[in-house]
Amino acid sequence: MTNPDILIVGAGHNGLVAAAYLAQAGRKVLVLEQRATAGGQLAGATLASGAVVPGLHPAGQLRPAIVKELDLARHGLATSAADTAYVSALPEGGSLRLVSNANDTSTIDAIHRLSPCDAARWPEFVGFMNRASAFMDAAYATTMPRLPKIELRADGLPLASLALKLRRMGGKDMFRVMRSLSMSAVEFTEEWFESEPLNAAIAGVAIHGVTLGSMSAGTGFTLIHNWLNRGGLAHRTVTGGPQALTDALLKAVHTNGGEVRTGADVAQILVEHQRVLGVQLTSGEEIRASTVLSSADPRRTLLGLVGAPELPPEFVWQTQSIRMRGSVAKVFVQTDSHHGLPEGTVAIAPTLKYLERAYDSTKYGELSQHPYLEVTTSGAEVAVHFQFATYALRHGDWNSMRPELERRAIDTLGLHFPSFKGSVQSVQSVTPVDLEQSWGLTEGDLNHGQLILDQIFFMRPLPGWSNHRTPVDGLYLCGSGMHGGGGIGGHPGRNAARMLLRGQG
Amino acid sequence: MPELSAVHHPLYQLRRTPFHARTSQLCLPHNWRRWGGCIAVGSYDLGLDREYWAIRNHAALIDISPLIKYEITGRDAARLLHRLTPRDIHRMQVGQVYYTGWCDDDGKLLDDGTVTRIGEQSFRLTAAEPQFRWLALNAVGMQVQITELTERLAALSLQGPKSRTILNLACEQPVDSLKYFRMAFNRVAGKAVSVSRTGYTGDLGYEIWMDAEDALVIWDTLLAAGHDYGITPTGILAMDMARVEAGLFMLDVDYTPASHAWIPGQRSSPYEMGLGWTVNLDKQGYFVGRRALEREHREGSSWKMVGLEIDWEGLEREYAAVGMPPQVPATAVRGSIPVYAGPRQVGYASTSTWSPVLKKYIALVHVQQPFHAPGTKVEIEVTVEHHRRKSPATVVALPFYDPEWKKK
Ligand SMILES: Cc1cc2nc3c(=O)[nH]c(=O)nc-3n(C[C@H](O)[C@H](O)[C@H](O)COP(=O)(O)OP(=O)(O)OC[C@H]3O[C@@H](n4cnc5c(N)ncnc54)[C@H](O)[C@@H]3O)c2cc1C
Repeated sequence: MTNPDILIVGAGHNGLVAAAYLAQAGRKVLVLEQRATAGGQLAGATLASGAVVPGLHPAGQLRPAIVKELDLARHGLATSAADTAYVSALPEGGSLRLVSNANDTSTIDAIHRLSPCDAARWPEFVGFMNRASAFMDAAYATTMPRLPKIELRADGLPLASLALKLRRMGGKDMFRVMRSLSMSAVEFTEEWFESEPLNAAIAGVAIHGVTLGSMSAGTGFTLIHNWLNRGGLAHRTVTGGPQALTDALLKAVHTNGGEVRTGADVAQILVEHQRVLGVQLTSGEEIRASTVLSSADPRRTLLGLVGAPELPPEFVWQTQSIRMRGSVAKVFVQTDSHHGLPEGTVAIAPTLKYLERAYDSTKYGELSQHPYLEVTTSGAEVAVHFQFATYALRHGDWNSMRPELERRAIDTLGLHFPSFKGSVQSVQSVTPVDLEQSWGLTEGDLNHGQLILDQIFFMRPLPGWSNHRTPVDGLYLCGSGMHGGGGIGGHPGRNAARMLLRGQG
Repeated sequence: MPELSAVHHPLYQLRRTPFHARTSQLCLPHNWRRWGGCIAVGSYDLGLDREYWAIRNHAALIDISPLIKYEITGRDAARLLHRLTPRDIHRMQVGQVYYTGWCDDDGKLLDDGTVTRIGEQSFRLTAAEPQFRWLALNAVGMQVQITELTERLAALSLQGPKSRTILNLACEQPVDSLKYFRMAFNRVAGKAVSVSRTGYTGDLGYEIWMDAEDALVIWDTLLAAGHDYGITPTGILAMDMARVEAGLFMLDVDYTPASHAWIPGQRSSPYEMGLGWTVNLDKQGYFVGRRALEREHREGSSWKMVGLEIDWEGLEREYAAVGMPPQVPATAVRGSIPVYAGPRQVGYASTSTWSPVLKKYIALVHVQQPFHAPGTKVEIEVTVEHHRRKSPATVVALPFYDPEWKKK
């Protein structure tokens, strides 16, 4: 493409969502992706070790508004399948099978066996979680004001309409949602239910993907966040796999005249006098454009690609202080198909304390002895999400730790599913360092910045910079490090594009 | 048993400079001041006359060791200072010294001092306040080493018309060819020193930088060399009068660094402080405060620091009314004094002093647009026998005193 209007760094789903909106509005958009394939974390990789791993995600869904506005159905995206099951292994053997539906009788029966009281509350809980995530969804669809210097015209109106929307959705629930955000998963679940296995199963989702334990404040928030992205406790499978999301977005970009270049590693965002000029690729090629959006994480974008010397010192300090703490690893196991695992999303989250202990290890720079796992299967393939595998190991490095990671994943799963170990044929794994090296994630942080209370809403990525702008004119952030991210959803990409199109850039 | 030295020098004592063994012997009135966590001599006499006139007529030897000093070295040393300050550091030659302020990103002063290019990749920076955090913050992503030299590097300021003659006697190499705001290496009493033609008095003068261990022998050598030329150990109070005459301001006295300001209005920009000449908006690349300084340059500053001469007749009149001759302070006064245009207050003085050499009562004042043009007639408050009066005064360009030998 010659003379693009807008460059977008990174073809993760957020970069592609932004590209699709901008292309749809007639802008000449060029997306530059360092990897060989588009999709970011939705796509697989060939690791430095030579191992080829499939996508990191069992599932994912874009927000319905995005699917509609970008007409993704026309571009081949099928609507998500029906509710799938979330199966939590029980401490004494057996499992608890939950479908995140208020009226699912088999779920209510299963809970009833643990506690009749809890079974009675389940419908109310599901209703509350759905409303809470709808609140969150509405908030994520609204660009947050730049506190403390709120600009009435730019920020006031969207905020007022959000407040109105939230009121209409149920004013009295608002208070309960607000209260839940700062609670720990333990406090939150124990207010709802008395059965420990049920609470632990739910708490597993609360700590999924974040470096927090079941007792950490703010896991009430992450539970609602993950519930929104998943549409419940379990991942909803996508027809055609997560790749279908990427494919539909790519089509939407291409159909509207946009271009996505893979294998285009941006080495530097070119800046002069705090104004963006374009980018330079590692190949040395320079591409000029007056607007650059980056869906790479904020630390990488600002300190890596722009470089601290071009940024105000206090801003550099704040950017350095964004907490990026990856502690997720992924272990892919090829079995002879007799793995004995049920379908759906399987969690090893037997007790609330188990989850907290698994998290404890990160404090000491260690790999969890008894990790929290979330497992999905696709035929003979078993994909294990492993927490906690801290990025910053105190002893050794991730090359020497890899076999241990794989062993602990297999042993832990084997403990709950006796036929599993015997079915293992080959193993591959993705460590936090692989996530950094192959997916460009600083410290292996999948969310491009921890999802903690002081890094969300108008404080994401930084207080005062929640409107996608940066100190560099013409440079905007549109990835998961922004309000609405992380996870699969697409809000950051949509908000950034809409802000540009409204002419507020 | 605690060691004796621990008993005599508990931790909470102010630090002593490397010249303390000498200065403490001479500081008979015990007129000590605090400076950068050290005790510094305020004056060696009860009055300031002798020391003041040494600066203007002979040579004053001032211990300036409490200055905060950093050494900045490495591949990106120039780049760091180029980013930190509004001056074009890349254009600096080895051996050159720049005076400069530096700002936060709102273009408001944080501190001021000198930058000396010691080598291609090596600089010395002086500051009134510790700046390590700020330097380190600005150095993110750069290859530099920042080392604080404050205690390791002792410094003497030799100021006055005879300073060159004395240095030529004390130094191994003559300093005749050392130009204004240049630095050269030299030796005194066989000890390595660097000599910069800089100072805080607006007179001919030099600053001599040395290893703290060599401090005393160099002090003694300079005093001996200067004996016949009236060299006079001088405290910081006489220097304070001289620096006002020279139009030089002081942190926390004449401006509030942005990092100390309680409210935005307390901050000052380089333009407001008359340092517009140090702000190079044409230089390459980002520097801290660039955006804000560009805006201020475009839109103009609302305040400006200028000189003020208080009309003697007016002062006489006010004092005559109570039957007294005019009274002037015997030292520089660090206090805010209102400045008026008619009934309206348009500014304030931050330091005022009697200037013995000019025989004028002068002040560094901060006035609003449009009252800072030289020649503008304003009034300044004077307190005559406990009553507030106004005395006519005239805005003048800085410096008040600029002898031809300063730069020659
Ligand atoms: C194991 C695992 C489990 C997860 N579980 C869940 C879950 O259950 N639910 C959920 O919602 N989310 C989950 N996530 C998180 C989710 O995948 C991410 O938050 C999301 O994919 C981020 O999307 P993005 O588009 O913002 O960024 P990314 O997908 O990270 O895309 C950024 C893109 O930028 C590219 N890039 C970076 N630097 C450069 C450069 N210099 N030049 C060119 N390109 C560059 C990268 O290669 C990448 O393609 C999980 C992630 C992992 C790894």
